[in-house]
Amino acid sequence: MKKWILIILISFVGFLQFSELYAQQRFPKPEFESGHTQPPVIKPEARAAYLEYLDMVVLFACLSIVSWLVLKKRSRAGVFLMSIFSVAYFGFFREGCVCSVGSVQNMALALFNNSYHIPISVVAFFTLPLLFTLFFGRTFCAAVCPLGAIQDLFLFKPVSMKKWLQSALGLIPYIYLGLAILYAATSTDFIICRYDPFIGFYRLDGTFLTFFLGGTFLFMGIFIGRSYCRFFCPYGVLLNLASKFSRRHMSITPTHCINCKLCEDSCPFGAIDKPVELKIKESRRVSIKRYSWFILIIPLLMFIGGWTTAMFHESLSKVNPKVKMAGILLEDPKALDEDRTIDLDAFIASGKTREELFTEAANIVDDFYIGSWILGIFIGLVFGLTLLRLTVVRYRTDYTPNRGECFSCARCMDYCPVDKSMTDYGPLTPNV
Amino acid sequence: MFKMYSNKNVNVKLWKNIAIVSGIVSVLLCFLIIVNYIQINRWDPVNTEAVNTMVERLRQNPADETLRNEVRALDLMVRKAYFTNQWQVRIGGYITLISLAIMLISIQIINASKKLAPNTENTSDDNEFLLNGISRKWISIGGSALVVIALFLSFMTHERLGDTFRYAAKEASGEVTMPVKEQIVKQAKGSIQQEAKVLEKEKETITTDNTAKSTSKQDQAEPAVKKEETKTIEEKPKAVNQSISEFVKKERENFPYFRGSGGLGIAYQTNIPTDWDGASNKNIKWKVKLGLQGYNSPIIWDEKLFLSSAKDKFKEVYCYDKNTGTLLWKSDVSKINGTPEKVPATTEDTGLAAPTMATDGKYAFAIFANGDIVALDFNGKLVWSKNLGVPQNHYGHSSSLIIHNDKLLIQYDHGKSAKVLALSTKDGSQLWSTPRKVKISWASPVIAYRGAQAELLLIAEPTIAAYDPDTGKELWSIECIFGEVGPSVTYLDGVVYGLNEYASLVAISGGNTPKLLWEDFDYLSDVPSPIATNEMLFVVTSYGMVICHDAKTGKKHWEQEFSNGFYSSPILVGNKIYLIDREGITHILKADKTFEIIAQPKLGEEVVSTPAFADGQIFIRAVEHLYCIQNGK
Repeated sequence: MKKWILIILISFVGFLQFSELYAQQRFPKPEFESGHTQPPVIKPEARAAYLEYLDMVVLFACLSIVSWLVLKKRSRAGVFLMSIFSVAYFGFFREGCVCSVGSVQNMALALFNNSYHIPISVVAFFTLPLLFTLFFGRTFCAAVCPLGAIQDLFLFKPVSMKKWLQSALGLIPYIYLGLAILYAATSTDFIICRYDPFIGFYRLDGTFLTFFLGGTFLFMGIFIGRSYCRFFCPYGVLLNLASKFSRRHMSITPTHCINCKLCEDSCPFGAIDKPVELKIKESRRVSIKRYSWFILIIPLLMFIGGWTTAMFHESLSKVNPKVKMAGILLEDPKALDEDRTIDLDAFIASGKTREELFTEAANIVDDFYIGSWILGIFIGLVFGLTLLRLTVVRYRTDYTPNRGECFSCARCMDYCPVDKSMTDYGPLTPNV
Repeated sequence: MFKMYSNKNVNVKLWKNIAIVSGIVSVLLCFLIIVNYIQINRWDPVNTEAVNTMVERLRQNPADETLRNEVRALDLMVRKAYFTNQWQVRIGGYITLISLAIMLISIQIINASKKLAPNTENTSDDNEFLLNGISRKWISIGGSALVVIALFLSFMTHERLGDTFRYAAKEASGEVTMPVKEQIVKQAKGSIQQEAKVLEKEKETITTDNTAKSTSKQDQAEPAVKKEETKTIEEKPKAVNQSISEFVKKERENFPYFRGSGGLGIAYQTNIPTDWDGASNKNIKWKVKLGLQGYNSPIIWDEKLFLSSAKDKFKEVYCYDKNTGTLLWKSDVSKINGTPEKVPATTEDTGLAAPTMATDGKYAFAIFANGDIVALDFNGKLVWSKNLGVPQNHYGHSSSLIIHNDKLLIQYDHGKSAKVLALSTKDGSQLWSTPRKVKISWASPVIAYRGAQAELLLIAEPTIAAYDPDTGKELWSIECIFGEVGPSVTYLDGVVYGLNEYASLVAISGGNTPKLLWEDFDYLSDVPSPIATNEMLFVVTSYGMVICHDAKTGKKHWEQEFSNGFYSSPILVGNKIYLIDREGITHILKADKTFEIIAQPKLGEEVVSTPAFADGQIFIRAVEHLYCIQNGK
């Protein structure tokens, strides 16, 4: 396995070199005195409108096919092939955009900014995966999302993670989602897109940071399955919630679990809930006391979260371009004339006065103060509810996929020895 | 922990081979691409030796059509090669990508064929209660760490950003022009221009009582800052305030320095004529021929007019009766103690007597390009003299003199050691000297009052700086200008305006934390100095442009081009601007936000000096003659 990792790494480094080359500038135009007229610069035409609908159709078709493959056909091979298609179409062909993960920000911006007209395709990319998840579980994550699919391709040697670590890291997507909504609602930035780690690969172009992040996630992905999806993806928060209430969800076994334990470590994402036996039952009085205690501290956690984040609102607001520019002009009023950036040029072109800029910046900082309170309250609530959830132990007798965290990738199905066709005929035997 | 067992349905060997082949292809292509990349970086297709040699040959034989065609063909070939190279890189990249994808898929298929064996041992991982407890602990630790880090960062970076921007917006809008504390002082004391208006309109002496009244009014207008304002006033000794007012009053009744009282370009005289003609002698009260060369401007005290001239080793100071033009006396100051033997080299348009004299009503002071400085009484008798050392100045020293109480202030920014110094007006002894880290400057010092505090304002690359004229202590300084600075600064309502050609026009708030309020780059001056009044700033350029800026924002109200350039600085008299161009035409403009010419009387002689004013009279030093203009003559 080590040699494979080495080969992959060498190839990856070479690939980065290629992407840099591709972005090279052409050299100057020839300067002949031949009377040759340079042809006019032709701007590429905007993408045809029908292609936007094609994207929606492809998304719908992919979701349908993957849901069918997972729930009906129970085919890991089929899901894997669909992953390759998604990487090719939504990844390389569509260059990672439009993307359901980033669409959260468009939705937030559309809600808080009346002047923003959200494209229909973005609405579709936001709602369709959620709807499918409500009905069939996270089949979108299984093989339709190009971000998840590319990580799946790199998953070679999964290691299991400690549950406490998974639980703690699992809170990061909530914070990321909150921040993404705050920044989108204040028209500051689409941070999910800006820090999309895989966009550089899909576009064969990007900043060093993009490639570094992407490379890091893919490298981690060799051992830690879908680290971005599990510990960062903000859209995953919504899908997780929707999946918990999904009408139908994939099951490891087609009929009855025989507790053969074959599937126990099959999930590289740690999304299989093991049976919990009654013999380790805790004292009821202790459980109720702890539960009540955590219910009581939730409002306190919400307040602490809100207050802390509100205290931090100035630092958060400095990401906003207007606040940033106002800060630059405040620090160095000559900045407009020295080392001008494209942002400063845009400000000059806008015809706005410094007074208007400073006033707008002050209002944005105020918005961030309110937004930070809401964000902090949300984070406090998430922490509180997570702690509360961890006080409750649900007793299970079967191995079942965790509905929220399961990506419906169908890996575990292959491990189940139970054959659906055999269920009607007496005792079941493993086919290994 | 993870043991694997094989799925016999998958041809593992085949997929392994595919993975190996695709992996090798990927690595090879990567290597080739890297080599290609290095090659392209080293190769400059538009600068090949072969093409350059042929182009050089073509330059020597431009009629050689064959050679021209060969150059074209070779150049085309080189360019084609470059693009082919790029195409190869692009295609190579795609192939690498595909082979990489094949390798990944192959590995995935091989992995899928192997299954993990179940873990049959019971571990602590099976205890849900225990696991939940550990998870709760780490979530609590993580959450607490987040809170601590966020609070630490917020306390470290807290800067009342919203309030700061709000205040900056007010500053930008002109509601306030300087940090709060300075604003309070300014409001309490009023600016020198506001005091001037009081003088002009009410003809009353500005006293401490007046300032106190003004303070009282401001208190009502600004209740929020009342407490601090009162405190600031208490800190200022009343005696100083009173002496300032008396001193300034006398200055304004006369025209004792370059650009009048404080060197601000404002004349407080009245009944100034607007119509004259040099050719027909209309309203020319008198006209006298001047002696030696000199580009300094006349100064006036009571009935006497002073100016200086110099040529080679000869230096003279003249005193005229301002009403008759009679030369009352001429003092030869060519040889004083310490006069250097060698006359410094100066340019023709600067000369040896470019600095304007100064007077305190008792003595008249003159400085020359060789560093000689003299004090003469009003009868022409030399009271004291000294040489400051020959200034290293490639055009010639031109900074004029100015007086504050009993101190003669000299901006001596020259190449060897720039400094500002004060000499006793009584005996010429040095009272203080402050070194300056600036380049050579040709601007003159200006005195303005920020509340009760007199500020000696100097401009030279790279700073505009204020000094306490009593002690020489630097009050504030800001780096905002560069180049060979010629124009002096001006001051209005707490804001200092400075400019220089090829640099910028800047508005500086001054005070403890001087700030650049606004900046403009469109029209800049290298000789004439600006004037400011009533929320307007007037900039005059040597190439004939006159611009009216909004003093608070820098926005241009109007700009007007005149056919002749200006060396003479504009002087504000009431609501009129007197501006003489190099051909001797005085453009009398309305000091207003809309451009309006009141009159354009001609003198008929070249003028580079700035006029002086007395009630009902203008005194213009032309190149050859000195003129007195008065209505009714």
